[in-house]
Amino acid sequence: MSSFRFDLILILIFTIHFAPALSDLVISKLDRRIDLSSQIVRMTLTLKVENTGTDPVSEVSLAFPEHQANNLALLVAVSTKGKGKSRGSATNLPIKIKQPNDSPPSLIWYAASLPKELGKGESLNMDVLAVFTHMLRPFPEKITQAESQLFLFQESAHFTSPYNVKVQSLTVKLPSENVESYTKLENTKFSGSEVKYGPYENLPALSYTPVIIHFPSNTPFAVAKELVREIEISHWGNVQVTEHYNLIHGGAQSTGEFSRLDFQARPHLRGASAFRNLIAMLPPRAHSIYYRDAIGNISTSNIYGDSSKTLLEIEPRYPMFGGWKTSFTIGYGLPLQDYLFQLGGARFLNITFGSPMNDVLVENLTLKVVLPEGSRDISVSVPFPVKQSQETKISHLDIAGRPTIVVEKVNVVPEHNQYFQVHYKFSNLSLLTEPLMLICGFFSLFVACIIYMHADFTISKSSSSYLAKLQWDEVQGTIQQFQDIINRCLLIHDKLEVSLRELSRNGDVQACKAVRKSADSLLKDYSKESKPLLAILQSSPQAAHILPKVEELIVKEKDLQEKIMLKHTMVVDSYEKKSTGRDFENRVASIQQKISALRQEVDDLLEFIEDV
Amino acid sequence: MAQSVKPISSPVPVAWYPSLAVLMLAVGLFITASFFIYEATSSRKNRSLAKELVTGAMASVFLGFGSLFLLLASGVYV
Repeated sequence: MSSFRFDLILILIFTIHFAPALSDLVISKLDRRIDLSSQIVRMTLTLKVENTGTDPVSEVSLAFPEHQANNLALLVAVSTKGKGKSRGSATNLPIKIKQPNDSPPSLIWYAASLPKELGKGESLNMDVLAVFTHMLRPFPEKITQAESQLFLFQESAHFTSPYNVKVQSLTVKLPSENVESYTKLENTKFSGSEVKYGPYENLPALSYTPVIIHFPSNTPFAVAKELVREIEISHWGNVQVTEHYNLIHGGAQSTGEFSRLDFQARPHLRGASAFRNLIAMLPPRAHSIYYRDAIGNISTSNIYGDSSKTLLEIEPRYPMFGGWKTSFTIGYGLPLQDYLFQLGGARFLNITFGSPMNDVLVENLTLKVVLPEGSRDISVSVPFPVKQSQETKISHLDIAGRPTIVVEKVNVVPEHNQYFQVHYKFSNLSLLTEPLMLICGFFSLFVACIIYMHADFTISKSSSSYLAKLQWDEVQGTIQQFQDIINRCLLIHDKLEVSLRELSRNGDVQACKAVRKSADSLLKDYSKESKPLLAILQSSPQAAHILPKVEELIVKEKDLQEKIMLKHTMVVDSYEKKSTGRDFENRVASIQQKISALRQEVDDLLEFIEDV
Repeated sequence: MAQSVKPISSPVPVAWYPSLAVLMLAVGLFITASFFIYEATSSRKNRSLAKELVTGAMASVFLGFGSLFLLLASGVYV
């Protein structure tokens, strides 16, 4: 408090002695409007600047006292040409800190460069928005549960303008219609919820008249001491945002005990200074929203979604009184096509910078943008000054890690929630490395299985049981090949039957004879193949119990073959000679009976051999 | 701007992820089953390495894609 007063005195002294070596601009009308309805103080200045000198002017300076300038979160100036009906378009002016050499020590100067120089006699309308944080001091600093918060706001009724001001006024808007006390100067009025100072005429440059307003305010004072916001992009269709909050109630500290009974019975009398819920405006089409903290999921939340936004209303586990802290995590997923765009050969992500929560002041914001593996040439463009760095995050199915951009900023207000861009290059082929990794993993399992089946892990290669096993394997192989041949023979029998049926349908004898010829040659081949197999079986001792069955199978199969050939010849001959007789039919029928009986026996034997 | 700005989305429509996952995993498991049946029923003499490797490769391709789409469908956007 005392250092603050010292600065004021210094400024007062310097206004008397200091002659600004600036150009001859004059502010013909200055309207200041200070909004105190939330914890963040917003000051809007509407000024009309006139060039009364001879030289054209290219920038307009603004000055703020040091204690205000240290809490300045955002300063934006917009200029419009013309007035009233012929208002031109508004242009944002770039602002930089520019300290003249002979300025008093506790004033910080900002210069807004004009797009076009202001010539002699011309005038310009400017709108300036200045957002300050931590400007409201709780007074008393500690309150009990039943009291409501009172804040102290110190400002100057005359704007510390570097130029002479012809007419100026100041309107301070309070959150409610009550005011505890306010400095009464000349031309001071308090009506509704506004304190009006002015209009003051013909004030010299850098004039300063301190006013103090003491007023009650119970609007939520949510301050996030730390917010870590992580945005992870997956080219498979999702942008995942995870936000970790460390929240504190930044108003008057709460002393004494907290009575839950009083709070729940009469919340407006016992707990007016607390806030229960926070509202966050998430983008539309946000999905998979979760709200949890270190203990687990917090179920006191609601979502109201429509086509332009998703409104998330969350309640911490307890109401927040002055000085109380809570920490939680919010996460949600967004569809990729709303935020990732292609421009020429490069891609860029267009997403909002700050916290989606309404009216939360963030003291330390760390924003991490995690790009997929394989991204190159990364660059970030943010509309206001920030601190940038790069690191690597290792996540699912990663080989080297994902490149991460870390952006840090101090004192972030809701006005900073603008869009920023991250540019990078990525080829779609790199997207295939993830399934390729999974495929290699599965293939290695199969290769391991193959190696296990092929490799021989027995310790002693000459033991009798090992040799017996080897022989049995060989016998099994031979039997399988044998089975194969028999099955193929049976297939040929079936084909012959089919050809006979075809013959009865369309009477084509030549086709039937052709099928018979091919069947003959194939059957000869098969019988040749089966001879060496039979030899192996006869020579191995392991096959002793199988051998008789196999030989029986061969004999029966040969028998079946002969009978089928006989039937075939008979039927074909009868068609050629066109002779049909009763006994011919009988003979065919008897052969058919024997054939089916034999076929049944062959099938039984095959089944028996298979079970071995 | 001389070039136009186009939004980028996933190469496969997101609505297909669950169906694709089930389909690919089913085919992959089918081929895995045939691989193991071949291993179990063939004897040492008759086994052909080429058939084993081809079956294993096909099965691992389908299983790999199927498990990728399963991860994506369940919300783990890898």
